[in-house]
Amino acid sequence: MGGLWHPGWRPVAFCGWRCIHPGSPARAAERVELFLRPEWSGTGGAEKGLRWLGTWKHCSLPARHPALQPPRRPKSSDPFTRAHVEEWRQRNKTTLTYVAAVAVAMLGASYAAVPLYRLYCQTTGLGGSAVAGHASDQIENMVPVKDRIIKISFNADVHASLQWNFRPQQTEIYVVPGETALAFYRAKNPTDKPVIGISTYNVVPFEAGQYFNKIQCFCFEEQRLNPQEEVDMPVFFYIDPEFAEDPRMINVDLITLSYTFFEAKEGHTLPVPGYN
Amino acid sequence: TAMNFGTKSFQPRPPDKGSFPLDHLGECKSFKEKFMKCLYDNHFENALCRNESKEYLECRMERKLMLQEPLEKLGFGDLIGGKSEAKK
Repeated sequence: MGGLWHPGWRPVAFCGWRCIHPGSPARAAERVELFLRPEWSGTGGAEKGLRWLGTWKHCSLPARHPALQPPRRPKSSDPFTRAHVEEWRQRNKTTLTYVAAVAVAMLGASYAAVPLYRLYCQTTGLGGSAVAGHASDQIENMVPVKDRIIKISFNADVHASLQWNFRPQQTEIYVVPGETALAFYRAKNPTDKPVIGISTYNVVPFEAGQYFNKIQCFCFEEQRLNPQEEVDMPVFFYIDPEFAEDPRMINVDLITLSYTFFEAKEGHTLPVPGYN
Repeated sequence: TAMNFGTKSFQPRPPDKGSFPLDHLGECKSFKEKFMKCLYDNHFENALCRNESKEYLECRMERKLMLQEPLEKLGFGDLIGGKSEAKK
């Protein structure tokens, strides 16, 4: 028995080595191992071995001999289980799609948040008032920032239909943040009829406007000038001390305050700029 | 009015203490002239003319052209009572 094996065994060993699937030395070892198993011994062992000898010439492609395959999960031909597996796969795919969609949506929301927040502040007006508190105790306690001198220049305009002579009494004034300042405009009514005017103001640059706080002025209320009357119109204001700490204001040395007068008629709503 | 998306428009704010009544009678005109002269002399430096502006506002308050306010609340705390605030 053993003798019969000897010649059979060696070529098989060759077969194992010859038929090696490129890159699968493990397979070859398995094959060789298989022949060493007890099944191959016995009465039919020699025939099996010889038959296998014959096949070793033809083992061109890596052995797809079913017995040689590493034990795989049995692909069930049972349709019920297959449906289960399919369903699981489908569900996983759907979940993955949803998760990916949520991730993309979050990314998009984080990009959209910047202009949306800006719009929100614009409409609710929180962008301006949230920055600097206008409490009068703030004025009491504020400390002037002496090393930051700002030039305030003054501008005066009238609406075309208003015939007042309206001009500032000083072209500019030098202030520091945290210091209250007084400035004067002058208006004259050269007509023979009393005229009521109402004014609004504008501050350039826009970003500095939020630090420009008026304590008292002559704007937004109707001011009546009698014929040929000339009056002084004071503006009492200060620049918020936080102006000196804003990095965006580092290059701002000139702030222009511009007043515009309109004529106030009875029951007339004004095209005041900045109001919508 | 163009409502540009993303660009802020200037929002005028009403003054903290409202509007100055007009000085029709020119009662405080002399104080104003003093203040303006001080400004011209000092090259429009506000820090040097704060006494004059304080006097102008006091004039207004006396003549009911302005609501009475303690001067500290108007930022003149360092000019009254000899209180010296940080003037560095």
